[in-house]
Amino acid sequence: MDMLLSFTSYGVFFLTFAAIFAVIVLGLNLQWGFTGLFNVGVAGFVAVGAYTSAILTAPDYPDSLGGFGLPVFVGWIGGALAASLVAFLVGIAALRLRHDYLAITTFGIAVTLQLVALNARGITGGPFGLQFIPRPLQATLGTGAVWNAAYLAMVLTLLFLAYLALETLTKSPWGRVLRAIREDEAAAEALGKRAFHFRLQAFVIGSALMGLGGALYAHFVAYIAPEDFLPILTFQIWAMLIVGGAGNNRGAILGAFAVWLVWTLSGGLIRSLLPQAEQARGASLQIVLIGVMLVAMLIWRPRGLIGETIQRPDKPK
Amino acid sequence: MTAALTCQDIVAGYEPGLSIVKGATISVATGEIFAIFGPNGAGKSTLVKAIAGLVPVTGGSVYLGETDITQLPAHRMVHQGLAFVPQTENIFANLTVVENLDLAAAIMKVDRKRRLPELEALFPDLARLRGLKAGRLSGGQRQMLACARALVSRPRVLILDEPSAGLSPKLVEVVFSRLREVRDSGVTIVLVEQNVKAALAIADRVAVLVDGRERLQAAAADLRDPVVLADIYFGHARQVSA
Amino acid sequence: MLQLITDGLIVGSVIALGAIGVTLTYSLLRFANFAHGELLTWGAYLTLTFLGVFMTVSGGGVMQPIGPFSFGWQLLAGLLVAAILTALIALAVERLVFARLRRKGTAIVLVIASFGVALALRNLVMFTYGGIPEYYSREIQIAIRVLPRDVWGGIRITPDQLFVLGLTAVTVLCLHLFLTRTTMGKAMRATSENPDLARVTGIDVEAVIRLTWIIGAMLAAVAGAFAGLTVQVRPGLGLDLLLPLFAAAILGGIGSVYGAVLGGLIVGLGESLSVPLFGAEYRAATAFLLLIGILLLRPTGIFGERP
Repeated sequence: MDMLLSFTSYGVFFLTFAAIFAVIVLGLNLQWGFTGLFNVGVAGFVAVGAYTSAILTAPDYPDSLGGFGLPVFVGWIGGALAASLVAFLVGIAALRLRHDYLAITTFGIAVTLQLVALNARGITGGPFGLQFIPRPLQATLGTGAVWNAAYLAMVLTLLFLAYLALETLTKSPWGRVLRAIREDEAAAEALGKRAFHFRLQAFVIGSALMGLGGALYAHFVAYIAPEDFLPILTFQIWAMLIVGGAGNNRGAILGAFAVWLVWTLSGGLIRSLLPQAEQARGASLQIVLIGVMLVAMLIWRPRGLIGETIQRPDKPK
Repeated sequence: MTAALTCQDIVAGYEPGLSIVKGATISVATGEIFAIFGPNGAGKSTLVKAIAGLVPVTGGSVYLGETDITQLPAHRMVHQGLAFVPQTENIFANLTVVENLDLAAAIMKVDRKRRLPELEALFPDLARLRGLKAGRLSGGQRQMLACARALVSRPRVLILDEPSAGLSPKLVEVVFSRLREVRDSGVTIVLVEQNVKAALAIADRVAVLVDGRERLQAAAADLRDPVVLADIYFGHARQVSA
Repeated sequence: MLQLITDGLIVGSVIALGAIGVTLTYSLLRFANFAHGELLTWGAYLTLTFLGVFMTVSGGGVMQPIGPFSFGWQLLAGLLVAAILTALIALAVERLVFARLRRKGTAIVLVIASFGVALALRNLVMFTYGGIPEYYSREIQIAIRVLPRDVWGGIRITPDQLFVLGLTAVTVLCLHLFLTRTTMGKAMRATSENPDLARVTGIDVEAVIRLTWIIGAMLAAVAGAFAGLTVQVRPGLGLDLLLPLFAAAILGGIGSVYGAVLGGLIVGLGESLSVPLFGAEYRAATAFLLLIGILLLRPTGIFGERP
C-alpha cells in the first residue's frame, strides 16, 4: 500500500514536470516548428517567467525587490508577459537578419540573464534564489498529495488550453503565412517588412509560453535558483521537440513526455547503479548520451516520432 | 566523327525522387558547337549542371570521349578536360581579373606565363582590365572572364549555361564570335541558350529539351525555319532528319 | 587604465584565435558552430594530458621552466600534440555529423546538431577529467613592470602573458601568409565566396572543408591552452568563451580573418574596460552588449560584405 502510494505520488510529480515542459516545448514549436526561428535561449525566457511570477506573488522578501503578494494567476500572466517583452526586444535586434544571428543572440540573452539571476541579489536573490514562492489554493488544499494532484490538473488544463490555442492559430491564415515564410525565402522576401512582423509575433507568443512554463515551475517547486535555468534546460527542450516532431503540436507534447521519461529513468538508473562518488561523472555521461540521441535523430529520423502532417505544396511525396 | 561528349538516358535532380532531367540522351561530336534549346523549366540548366557534376545524377551515364565520368566529383571533371561556365556568379567577385585566372592556373597546375597571354590574346579586353576587381566588371566583360577562366585548363569540352543572359544584342554577337574562335582553336562547345536566333547562327547542331527529355537532335541548318522550331517547342513532335 | 587595456588585449588574443575558427567555418559551411567553444576546452585539457605525459617521460614528472616563463618545453610539445588531436576531433565530428546533415539538410539543422555536439563534447570532458579546475604549472610568476605607475597607472605584465600576445601575433601572421600566398589558401577564400564555382574551377571543396576544420580546431586548441595558461583549465572554459567568440566574429564581419582578430581584441578590451563600470560579475555580458550593438548598427560587421 505504501509502495502504491509512493508510486502514485511519484507519478504525479513526473506528470506535472512533463506537462510543464510540454507547455514550454509548445512555445518552441511555434517558433521553430512553424516559423523556423532558432531559439537557443529557451532557459532564459523560462527563467524570466519563473522569477517574475515569484516576485509578483511572494509575500515579502526582506532584502530584495520582490514580495507583492499578488494572486498566483496574476503571477502566471506576469511571467508570460515579461518573457514576451524580453522576446520583443531580442526579436527587434535579431529577427531581420539571417537565422544564425537569432541563434547567437538568444544564446547571448540566456547567458546574460543567467548572470543577472546570479548577481542581481536585490531582484533575484542571487545564487540562493527565491524561496517561499506561494502555491495556489494551498489554504484550501493543504500541502500533501491532494494539492499535488490539483496542481497537476491545473497544469494539464493550461497545457490543453495552450494546445487548443496553438492548433487554432497554426491552422489559421496567420499560421499558413508563418509556414510560407519558413519554407520559402523568396516568399519571405516578397513580404518584406511584413515577414519580419510575422516572425516577431510568432517569436513573442512562443516566448510567452516559455515564460508561462517557468511560472508554472516556480509555483510547483516553490523555490527557484539560477542553476534551474542552465543551458542544459534549453537542450532538454530542444531534444523534446526534435524527438516528438517539430511542426506538430501533438508531437511536441509527446516529445516532452517521452524525453522526460527517458531522462528520469536514466537518471534513476545512474543513481541506483553508481556509487556516490561517481554520480557526477555518470550524470555527464547521461547528457552525452542524450546529445548523441539528438544528433542521431536529426540524421536518421529528422521528422521525429510524429512530424509535420501538412505536405509541402510544391513537393509531393 | 568521334563523340566528344555522350549522355545516355541522364536522370538528374536536386532532391531524391524529384527528377528534373528525366532521361536525356545527347551526343556531341568533336569540334562542333552544340546548342541545347527548350522552353522554360525544361531542365536545360539542370542537364548541363548534372553533366558538370554540380547536380546529382541518379540514372544514365556521361562519357567524355571514351571515359565514363558520370559519378566523378565536379573538380575531377575539370582535370579530365571538361570545363563549365555557370550562368550567374561565374567569376570570383572578390578577386581581381588576373587573380581569377591565376587561381585557375595554380589549381590546374598550368604554366600561367604561357597560358595567360594566349587567353588575353583571345579576349583582349581582359588584358586591359587585369588589376580590376572582377565584381566591378560589366556583364559582357564578366562573361569573357568566365570563359577565359574555364579555358585556363585547356579543356576538350567547354559547357556554357546561357552565355547570352542579360547581354545586349551587340554584346551577344561579340561573345558568340569569341566562342567561334574558341571552337576554331580546337575546343568542343556545348551551350544552353534561350536566345535561339543568335545560337542557331553559330551552332552546328542542336538538341531541343522538353520536360526533361530531348525531343530531337538536328543539324542547326535544318532548324533555321521558325515554323519547324515552334512546332517542336509547343509539343507537335515532328521527325526531322538528325 | 593602461593596465586594463593590456589585460583586455591578452583576453582578446585568446578570443581572436578562437573567433578565427568560428568565422572560417561560418563563411565556408554557412552555419554558426555552437560546438566550437568545446574545441577550446578539449585543446586545453589535451594539452594538460600530454604535458603530463612529456613530464613523466622526460624526468620524473617535473617541468623545468624556460627562462622567465612558468612552463618548460613540455607544455609546448603537449600543446602541439593537443592541437593535432583537437583537429582530429573536429574532423571526426565533421565526418559523423556535419557532412551527413549537409548532404540532406539546411544550414539551420547543422546549428541544432552543433548544439547537441557541444553538449556531448563538454560532458565528455566532465566525464573524463572531472570538474575540478587544474593548472599547467604551479610556478609563481612575477609580473614585469613595463611602464612606471605614474604614466596612466602603468603596466605590469607576466612573461606568460607576453608569450601569449607574441604567439598570437605570429599565428595570425602565418595564417595571413597562408591565405594570401599559397594556392590552398587562395582556394579556401574562393570556396567560401562561391563553392560551386570553386568546384568547376577544379578545387576539391571537400578537401578545403577538411583543411578549414583542421585550421579552426588547431587555433582553438592554442586559444584553449592560452586560456588555461593565463587563467585555469576547467570544463566550462569553452562555453564561457563561446559568446565572446561569436561576438568577435560578427563584429569583425563573417568570413574575415582580420575582422575576427580585430573583433577579438575589441571584445577583450570591452570586457576588461567594463569591469570598473559594471563590476567584474557582469564582465561576461559585455560581449552580448557589443553583439546587440553591432547587430543594430551594422550587421555586416566591420569588414563584412554579406548580410
